Formats: sequence, structure tokens, C-alpha cells
Amino acid sequence: MTWIAFANLLINGLIEGLVVALPALAMTLVMGVNRFPNAATGDFLTTGAYAAVAVQMLGGWPLWAAALASMAATAVVSAGSYTLIFRKLAGRPMVSSMLAAIGLGFLLRSLISFFAGHDQRTFDLPLVRAWNFGGVRLLPTDVAIAGIAVLCLLVVFVLIYKTSFGRQLRAVADSADLARASGIRAGGLMLSLWVLVGALSAIGGVLLGMKAIVSPEMGWESLIPAFAAMVLGGIGSPVGAVLGALLLCVAQELAVPLLGPSYKLVLSFVVLALVLLLRPAGIMGRVQLVR
Amino acid sequence: MIAYLCAIGVIALIYCLLALGLNLQFGLTRLVNFGVVAFFAVGAYTSGLLSLQGVPLALCFVAAGVLSGLLALPIGLLSLRLRDDYLAIVTLGFSEAVRISIQQESWLTKGVQGLPGLPKLFAAWGPVSDLATFATLLALVALVSWGTVRLTRSPFGRLLKAIGDDEAALSALGKDPAWFKVQVFMLGAALAGVAGAFYAHFITFITPEQFIPLITFYVWMGLVMGGAGSVRGAVFGSLLLMVFLEGSRFAKDWVPGVSEVGMASLRLAAVGLALILVTLYRPNGLFGGKSQ
Repeated sequence: MTWIAFANLLINGLIEGLVVALPALAMTLVMGVNRFPNAATGDFLTTGAYAAVAVQMLGGWPLWAAALASMAATAVVSAGSYTLIFRKLAGRPMVSSMLAAIGLGFLLRSLISFFAGHDQRTFDLPLVRAWNFGGVRLLPTDVAIAGIAVLCLLVVFVLIYKTSFGRQLRAVADSADLARASGIRAGGLMLSLWVLVGALSAIGGVLLGMKAIVSPEMGWESLIPAFAAMVLGGIGSPVGAVLGALLLCVAQELAVPLLGPSYKLVLSFVVLALVLLLRPAGIMGRVQLVR
Repeated sequence: MIAYLCAIGVIALIYCLLALGLNLQFGLTRLVNFGVVAFFAVGAYTSGLLSLQGVPLALCFVAAGVLSGLLALPIGLLSLRLRDDYLAIVTLGFSEAVRISIQQESWLTKGVQGLPGLPKLFAAWGPVSDLATFATLLALVALVSWGTVRLTRSPFGRLLKAIGDDEAALSALGKDPAWFKVQVFMLGAALAGVAGAFYAHFITFITPEQFIPLITFYVWMGLVMGGAGSVRGAVFGSLLLMVFLEGSRFAKDWVPGVSEVGMASLRLAAVGLALILVTLYRPNGLFGGKSQ
């Protein structure tokens, strides 16, 4: 592999990593606070992407406006699913929440394919030529995707680490009982969390759709990579989720010449299994009790 | 009509077998296996490929069970170190990894084209071969049910239940649950493998497309609907699942103006909704009590 091919794969891996970081972060937030892996995260992504497609088809809106509308729509779906399902399952065995999340995923995905069909769709984007730096190619679209992803990640980090919302959230994540004892009201806080998770997933879906295509299966296919990224970074660690996503996607891209593109998901699984075996707390995670 | 009922019966019994395997893993020992379909697929492909090489079917079935069981060993060992939720995602990822590998390694599996023309069980019996398959499966399901009930009442079974109920207390008593968990995981996987072999030789045509995670969740739905932890629950739950799946096929006649593809989507949506509703309102299954 020449260094030019290497650089191209590296760049692609980094951009993909930034996109995967969004669902990984959404998942890690829920995992840290509600303590179950939200297997519907992928389908929140799909919901977001299709909401944006629908808005664009409706009135020829620019993509940024469609994306904002889709954030709102997916936030409603996400907060609604918390209120109607996951809130009621709190305190039950984790498997209940996971099964319900999988059921929710099926429900969302099949409703989408019922109304929108199984055909692949794309966003209305102007065609642009890649910049070429002596063989190292860079698509302006990819730069935009990376920029938006970084911006969203920054916003979420400011929310988590610099606002009282984030402080309360982290307090609940550390110890729900202690947080309640010190007067934090969980109700509104949880709802805001799920609104954030929905909006974040929607942007993830739109970016994923911009990078590749929009299909009913797109989100489900990114579930395992997002989960692997979350575990790699350390469950419940927002910074870890982003680092994990970057590392995972770069590794995936660099492995493409060796394994072919179809084995990306298998590689995610292998990374996931290895991390759990060798360092269950992930890169950034604290060692926690693993039975 | 008889042929149709027979086909439904065979598929229902195959789901029964899968649910009984999952019941050993999850119902008894609380091992969350979200990758049932992986072991089902490996069983189907093992038996299918061997039979195409001229290996006698009986041997193919044994090989399917053994290989699926062995494949569960590393996952079982991994499960010892993982909490429920991690294990759930790992097994789910595993099943997708298996499916993609089957799809990609076409030198062995013919990839997306699949394996057509697999020999039928009791092919020499002509028109009653399906009925014979049904009877064999029925006997096997009865045997496994009986075995599970016996197992539950034996000291070994009580140990397994204790692992599911309170592993820490068990460890405190000086028992090491690790090896039992692995054994149960392998046993459940072997059953799934045998179910896969039955499926392969009943349908006679297998492709990677048939082994999507949805199958896993059908089995989960059957078990959870019936009530995890009881053999009766596993069996009745899978029968109920079959009524649900087949019934929705006929529902097309009552919902005018919906295409075949649209109906498939609606069916999937109903599965999702049912999973949500059962976990919300009937965590102990339809036959269990309402409380936890």
C-alpha cells in the first residue's frame, strides 16, 4: 500500500468515525443514565434520515432546514419512546428494556419501509468534484460532514460538561439515588436526555445518508459498529465513545485492502469481543464490576 | 391443505426446538443469547453441505448439532465475563458476523446464491416424507421437553436455576457456576443446530438471507410470550408465534389495497409492537402471572 492509498483510507476512516461517533454518543448517554444498550439507536438514525428526505421532497427545502426539522421529529419519537416504553421498564431486568428496544427498532424500520418502500434514496445534494492533493482526494461533502459532526459533538460536550443539565445528568449517571436525595428531579431531566439523544441520532442519520445512501436498513447496520465504538471507548464515557468510534472506523478502513469492504461489520464484532476480553472497561472507562 | 398444515406444523416444531434451546439458556440460566440464528444457520449449512457430499443424513444431523455446540464454546466462555447487556450485543454481533461470513465465503457456501437441491428427510417415502419429518420432529420436541423438565428437577437443574436466580449467593456457597453456564450455552446451541438441519432438509434450499436477526427475535417473542423458564411456555409460545405469523398472512385478505411487500412490512411492525407490549405488560408471558 502506497502512502497515498493509506492517506485516503485514513481520511475516509476519520470521517466515518466522526459520523459513527454520534450514535455511539447517543447510546453511551442512555447507557450511562438509563443503564441499557438502546438497540433502537440505529433505527432512530434511519428515522432521522427519512424524516429529512421527506421534508426535502415535500417542499424542496435546503438540506440544513430539512435536517433541523428531522432533528425535531426524531426527538419527538425518541422522547415519546422513553415516556411510553422505557420509563415504565426502569427497575426491571435490563433484558426487558433491550427486548423492547429491539421491538421498537423493528416497528420504526418497518413503518418506514411501509410508507417509503425499500428503494434506496439520496439527499438532494449538488454534485461536486473531489479536491486532489497529489493523489490524496478529499470530497467537499466529506469535509462538510466532518465539520457538522465535530460541531454537534462540541455542542453535546458543552451541554454535558458546562451546563447544569449536564451536571445533573452526570449526577444521575453516577448514582440515581444520591441524585434524587440531593433534589434532582429525574422526570424532566430524562425527557431532555431523550430529546437530545433523538436529535443527535437524527443528525447522525442525515450525515450517514449524505456519506452513503438512505435505506431502511442503514441504521440497523450501524448498530454493531456504534456499540463496538461505545465499548471500545468505555461505557458511559462520552469522550471515550468519540475516540472509540474514530479508532474503530480507521481500523475498519485500513483493513479494507486486506479483507474487503464486506467484512467491516465482522471486524467491528471482533474488536468488540477482544475489548471485552482484554479491557472490559474500555479506553476511557473506569473499572466497574463485571460479574 | 394437508400439505400446507404439515408444512406449518414442521416450521412450528422447528421454532419449538429453537425456543426450547433458548429456554435452557435464558429461561433457566438467564444467559441472554441474541444470536440464536447463528447456531441455527451453522446447523443448516453444516448439514446441507455435508449432505451434498453424500454423507448420510443421520450423520449430517449429528454433525450439525455438534458443530453448532462447539461454536458456542468460545461465546459461552466469553459470556462468563460479561454482564447481560454486553452478552446480548455480543451474541447479536456474532450472528451478523456469521451471516456475513456465510454470504462472503462463496467457495464453501455458494454465497448469496445459496444451496439448492438439498435432500429431503425420508425422501424414499415419497408423499408421506413430510408427515414423517413432522412425526420425527414431534418426537424430538417431546423428548427435549421431557429432558428439560427432568433436568429442571435434577440437582443439576436446580443448580442452573440457582445460577439464574442469584449467582452471587451460589458462588458464596462455594459452587463454581462457570462451567455449567458454558455447558448450557453449548447444549442450547446444539439444539438450534439440529433445528437448522431440519429446516435445511425440509425447505431443501438455504440462502444467507434466511438467517437474519429477525429469526432470533421470533424465537424470543415465542419464548417471552409463552413465559420464559417453563417448558410449557416455550412450546405454547412458539405455537402462538406460528398462529401470529401465519394468521397475518391471511390478514391480507381483510386489509385491501396493501401490496405484498407492504404487508411484509406491516407484519414486521406487528412483531415489533408485540415484543414491546409483551415486555411491558406480560413480562412473565401470557401463561404466567401478571406480577414479576
